Amino acid sequence: MSRPNTATPLERRYAMLGVILIAPTILVFCAVIVYPLFSAIYLSLFQIFTPTLQGSFVGLENYQRLFQRSEFWISLRNTLVWTIGTLTLQILLGVAMALVLHQNLWFRSLARSLILFPYFVSTVVAVLVWRWLFNDLYGILNHLMISVGLIDWPLDFLGSSPNAMISVILVGAWKYFPFVVIAVLARLQTIPEPLYEAAKIDGAGPIARFFDITLPQLREVLVVIILLRAIWDFKEFDLIFLLTGGGPLITTQTLPLLVYKEAFALNQMGMASAYAVVMMAIMLVFMVVYVLKTRNKDESR
Amino acid sequence: MTRRILFNLFAWSIVLAVAFPLFWMVVTSIKPQFELFRRPPTILPETVTFEHYWRLLKETNFLIYFRNSVVLSVATTVTVVSIATLGAYSLVRFRYRGRESLAFLVLFTYLLPSVVLIIPLYLMLVTLGLANSILSLVIAYTTFALPYALWLLRSFMAGIPEDLESAALVDGASRLGAFWDVILPQLLPGIISTALFTFILSWNEYLFALVLINSDSARPLTTGVMNMLVSSFNIEWSLLMAASVMMSVPLIIVFAFLQSYLTRGFGAGGVKG
Repeated sequence: MSRPNTATPLERRYAMLGVILIAPTILVFCAVIVYPLFSAIYLSLFQIFTPTLQGSFVGLENYQRLFQRSEFWISLRNTLVWTIGTLTLQILLGVAMALVLHQNLWFRSLARSLILFPYFVSTVVAVLVWRWLFNDLYGILNHLMISVGLIDWPLDFLGSSPNAMISVILVGAWKYFPFVVIAVLARLQTIPEPLYEAAKIDGAGPIARFFDITLPQLREVLVVIILLRAIWDFKEFDLIFLLTGGGPLITTQTLPLLVYKEAFALNQMGMASAYAVVMMAIMLVFMVVYVLKTRNKDESR
Repeated sequence: MTRRILFNLFAWSIVLAVAFPLFWMVVTSIKPQFELFRRPPTILPETVTFEHYWRLLKETNFLIYFRNSVVLSVATTVTVVSIATLGAYSLVRFRYRGRESLAFLVLFTYLLPSVVLIIPLYLMLVTLGLANSILSLVIAYTTFALPYALWLLRSFMAGIPEDLESAALVDGASRLGAFWDVILPQLLPGIISTALFTFILSWNEYLFALVLINSDSARPLTTGVMNMLVSSFNIEWSLLMAASVMMSVPLIIVFAFLQSYLTRGFGAGGVKG
């Protein structure tokens, strides 16, 4: 990549053109991302009443109050429970499904489409369908579980305490595991076949082959998937907001829901910004790791 | 042979279980209201009816929401993909200071949570007097769509061999001429892929629409259909399922005809192992 400092006029003209081509991107970025980002940090130092947008400077007081509120800690804990729970299921289901789809299956491409669909369908659609499946009187899930003998009375999937979190985690796993399937499937197709043949000759069974060949080969891509999905699950708003609204009480209220509630239901924009900034600070760890990993890969290419 | 049959049965029962909610959505939408409350529920409808679709189109604001969503998603896609194509070309094929850092700033913003940006964006759009318009949503949607499209196109662009462009330049083409005649045709599959992803992201977005729009004339499908659930006195599930099916129509079309573009986008979207 090293080049002499004596750039020819043509090279300089090219560099100029390059800058002109990227200019619209930079302008839009500054207007809708960079400025709002710094603005959010700035707003978090104020106390602002949303309807009037009148505010007064309070310094770091929002942050001080935030850490003293049990609501913040409960929401943080909920966010972690949701993220870890749904992510674990997504990875397990996703890898398993990818292994199945990698085999010679009848109508494989149809099966792949069916698996992929939940990922692309609108969260609103997914939530409406699941709320109908979960319905306590006429929902098919309760009916099936009663007729199989799993439960005696209809379950309240979304309105009672541990159930709501479990339901949200399950729906999240259903909606997002196809992402893992596709990413893992793409990697599986690049594992050289001779590796498996050699292991077969050495007498390794299917389970040994999975742990000795498949899993080490998948390690790299799994790390990236886990980072990416952890970031996305951590900031998930639509799915949880639409399924439970954070309820019952605040047992499924995660940090993004807390930010929304503070800003647009309790009308405290300054405080909400402080929550958002803290949430971003927590996510920053994962984001930096992901960016660095991708950067290393990019340079070694 | 039996092992193969058993494996197929096992695999397909999982696939069908995953797809069941979507099957149930379609079935519910074509059952008459009275059949919904039958116990035990009928798996396939005894009477097929399209009355809910008819009512959805005639008695609700569904068509307005649908039109808004189409306008909004097309506008976002066209804007974002044009800006991002130029940007990606610049990031991959030109040398200037700050180029690398810029590329990673893009990746970083692609991971940013919307709730962080939404408060300042809301204030900004209210101050500019744009709130409650489709334009305000197009602006808001670029915050997640542009980093996404740029990152995707950047990796598609990197996959185009440089020799072709150099050959055109040697033959006397200008840089932009070579871009138009050589790069763009090669990039077309990547552009289609990116456009589809951007369209679907915009079509499905909920949070910005919830915060920025509070009039039916500008409301897109996501918040519009959700309002039908919240505001109705007794929930009409058949109607909501019909709305869900209709809302998924663009997606079904993409799935039927353009699915390979979607899977291609996955590989480029930063999950390359």
